[in-house]
Amino acid sequence: MGSMEASTAPENGTAAAAAAAASTVCNGAGGGGGAAAASNGGGVERRLRSSAASASWASHLPLEVGTRVMCRWRDQKLHPVKVIERRKSSTSSSPADYEYYVHYTEFNRRLDEWVKLEQLDLETVETDVDEKVEDKATSLKMTRHQKRKIDETHVEQGHEELDAASLREHEEFTKVKNIAKIELGRYEIDTWYFSPFPPEYNDSPKLFFCEFCLNFMKRKEQLQRHMKKCDLKHPPGDEIYRSGTLSMFEVDGKKNKVYGQNLCYLAKLFLDHKTLYYDVDLFLFYVLCECDDRGCHMVGYFSKEKHSEESYNLACILTLPPYQRKGYGKFLIAFSYELSKKEGKVGTPERPLSDLGLLSYRGYWTRVLLEILKKHKSNISIKELSDMTAIKADDILSTLQSLDLIQYRKGQHVICADPKVLDRHLKAAGRGGLEVDVSKLIWTPYKEQG
Amino acid sequence: MAMSRLSFRPRPLDIHKKLPILKSAREFEDDDPTAAAVAVARAGVLLRQSAPELTAATTATEGEGNPTPTKKNIQEIPTPQFDAVDTYERDYTRTFAQPTCYIRGRGARAEIGEFVEYDLDNEDEDWLEDFNNERKNLNPEKLEVLLFKLEILDHKARERAGAITPTFIGPVPVLLQLDAAMEALQYLSVRYGVFQAVYSYWKDKRERWQKPILRRLQPPPPVNDTNPYNVFRPREKAHRLHTRRMQRRENNIQSFEKLRMVRRNLDQAKALMDALVKREETKREAMECEVNLRRIQMKYKHEAQLVDEGTALSGFQQVSSRFGSSEDDYADSDDTTTEQPYIRPPVFRPRFADHKLSIIPTLRIKRERELKRRPQQNGWVFKRDPEEPVLLFTRPLDPEKLLAAGIKPPPDPPIENGATMPPFRCRGRIGRGGRIIFDRWNPLLQTPIGQETSYYVPYSRRPPSPES
Repeated sequence: MGSMEASTAPENGTAAAAAAAASTVCNGAGGGGGAAAASNGGGVERRLRSSAASASWASHLPLEVGTRVMCRWRDQKLHPVKVIERRKSSTSSSPADYEYYVHYTEFNRRLDEWVKLEQLDLETVETDVDEKVEDKATSLKMTRHQKRKIDETHVEQGHEELDAASLREHEEFTKVKNIAKIELGRYEIDTWYFSPFPPEYNDSPKLFFCEFCLNFMKRKEQLQRHMKKCDLKHPPGDEIYRSGTLSMFEVDGKKNKVYGQNLCYLAKLFLDHKTLYYDVDLFLFYVLCECDDRGCHMVGYFSKEKHSEESYNLACILTLPPYQRKGYGKFLIAFSYELSKKEGKVGTPERPLSDLGLLSYRGYWTRVLLEILKKHKSNISIKELSDMTAIKADDILSTLQSLDLIQYRKGQHVICADPKVLDRHLKAAGRGGLEVDVSKLIWTPYKEQG
Repeated sequence: MAMSRLSFRPRPLDIHKKLPILKSAREFEDDDPTAAAVAVARAGVLLRQSAPELTAATTATEGEGNPTPTKKNIQEIPTPQFDAVDTYERDYTRTFAQPTCYIRGRGARAEIGEFVEYDLDNEDEDWLEDFNNERKNLNPEKLEVLLFKLEILDHKARERAGAITPTFIGPVPVLLQLDAAMEALQYLSVRYGVFQAVYSYWKDKRERWQKPILRRLQPPPPVNDTNPYNVFRPREKAHRLHTRRMQRRENNIQSFEKLRMVRRNLDQAKALMDALVKREETKREAMECEVNLRRIQMKYKHEAQLVDEGTALSGFQQVSSRFGSSEDDYADSDDTTTEQPYIRPPVFRPRFADHKLSIIPTLRIKRERELKRRPQQNGWVFKRDPEEPVLLFTRPLDPEKLLAAGIKPPPDPPIENGATMPPFRCRGRIGRGGRIIFDRWNPLLQTPIGQETSYYVPYSRRPPSPES
């Protein structure tokens, strides 16, 4: 089940998008092409320039894949994009009737999206040759080594745990998001990544999920009809934790195969390096819910192998976007370690960790370990720390070493636990999120039946 | 300080070793006042280099007063976009009451059976609309039920026909016939015309899809399918094997051949073991006979001796019986490859130090017995050298029989490259199990091999001559 990706961002990560909302030229709200955009644009000079541009570009429509152009983003500002893919938006054969899948070169790939022609500022189209053509032309002159070097420098930031080759392969498979939006219960959510839904669903930009059984449909009426008959008000497994309105359910992928698969399809929309390659039989899903009189609403989940030889205690983790930045992701991580403690095993998340995943885990490890070091008086071994926390020794070492808390002095390793230094690191690691109240966890480790 | 720390590589950290926790910066400084400063600076550098994500977090959390977050920050933590759905409160009813105890899961829907798992898709809805334009007599819920039931019935038909494949290896055919479906779904009371239309729509759709339309019934992709768009393939791991080596094994022709070879080998080993058991049983029987024979002989001899001399050694009976029991101790040693029973009983290399005391009198008694025995020697025993220790349960070889069986004793001494090897001799005998044994003698000590350091030396006798 591939990698995990926690989407728990520190509370005040970015406010850029919201802050910028009001400040832009409103351009091309209606209109079909370059000419319309120009007519709303303002000054004479600009109009001249743009009409010339549109005249020349009208003949070049539809744009080629690989074209670089400025595009109006949701902050209403123009941002540089690269066209990744294009498709006809209707049955008419006009060259202007194309939609473009663009990558905002300033942003992470998860913000790639389909845009309409009127969002693109055709004046800014760069006469940039398609990269693939360019590659072919130059590949003969380049040595393989040079080529690889270039390839490596092109790799996107934030996936340092993957090697360049597998990352590029992965991006090639998933470069175009298939589902742009989903409706899940109370929320309509923009998706981040491609998810390999069955081919019958590929023509649908939006899917409607049943909030409880997670069945997905292409039309709202289908969902409404489904809601009349759906007999679930909570995930289909056992409730193993309840604190206030927060409940955790354990769902066996073998007993509830369709639910497990639905959950994976859904999660993949928000997780980049998750694979749905293998069946869900061997996994348990821990689904965290907020409960009210309409039912138990999923806010996030993590999956876990029933038997992990590599002592993984978590395979995938996700907090759904509407519930992010509320501490649920931290809760899920803490919960996974509480399960490991009950099993009497040490655990570690499955690798590779995504950018956000590593961030969340480093935060958790730092908080847990430094709180112990602050209080602990006598000497302590890494193994003892591991036994106390169920955190794998390697993770403890890497955490303490990355904070430079383990030093080699006078022929031996020591842990430097100056309270001021610890407090500084603790502050940087952020708050701990919701607490897991272990007394409310009623759970026995998974055992194979029969 | 910083330099000296770079100049050697610290020992790898032992996770079991207790590490001191230094609480105050003063403890760092004890040998170099600048060390702490260097360390702190270094920590800062390291942090920025090895964990950029942590620095990002730092900036993010401490950045409240920072009006321009870095570009990197925007990339790391995108703003999730979502809107509220305005029909939510209508679509989802307020009918859930949380029980006081934790909720227990029930069986899966498939097991419960009456839930209509199928949801109409666009194609179904469009077809239904066209269909109802003409007749207006089928509602979507009914169509959902019909399609669901048709899928289930067809699945059962394929099960009965043994046509269920564990993975998707080719188009899944429709096996359900119209009349069979009609009969099974009579209770839904759908008019024949409508049912027929639905059936042919369903069959047509199934043939286009080439797989069941109910997701639960669609077979997963084959294990060796590498198309990343096909998902949820079964894993062999389902039956988890215990060692890595076993996990690497695949179920292919090669491994089948290997397993067959293993089986053959095991069968052979079993046959061999059966034969061995039979041989050992026979040996045991033979030995029991021999023991009985010897007991009778000894009893007979003692009686004769007592009569002869009119003397009874005090404690003799007891020692004698002890001697007999210690022979039993040796009964098993004949099977070992280092056979030396010919000498053992008289020598009594002490196996345990505390036996030493009891051994010497035994030997003495033994020698006395040897001496006393001479007049009554009978059978093969009388051929013995009087100095030679008694070797119970063994018999001398019969050279004629050996010759008849074509068995030659090892030549002595062997000649290699024209040079004569140090001479050694062999003595043949028939062991307790009836095997023919040639014992090699050490030419220097003139004892059997393996007895060189024994207590035997004081008893050294003239070298025995080979019996052949």
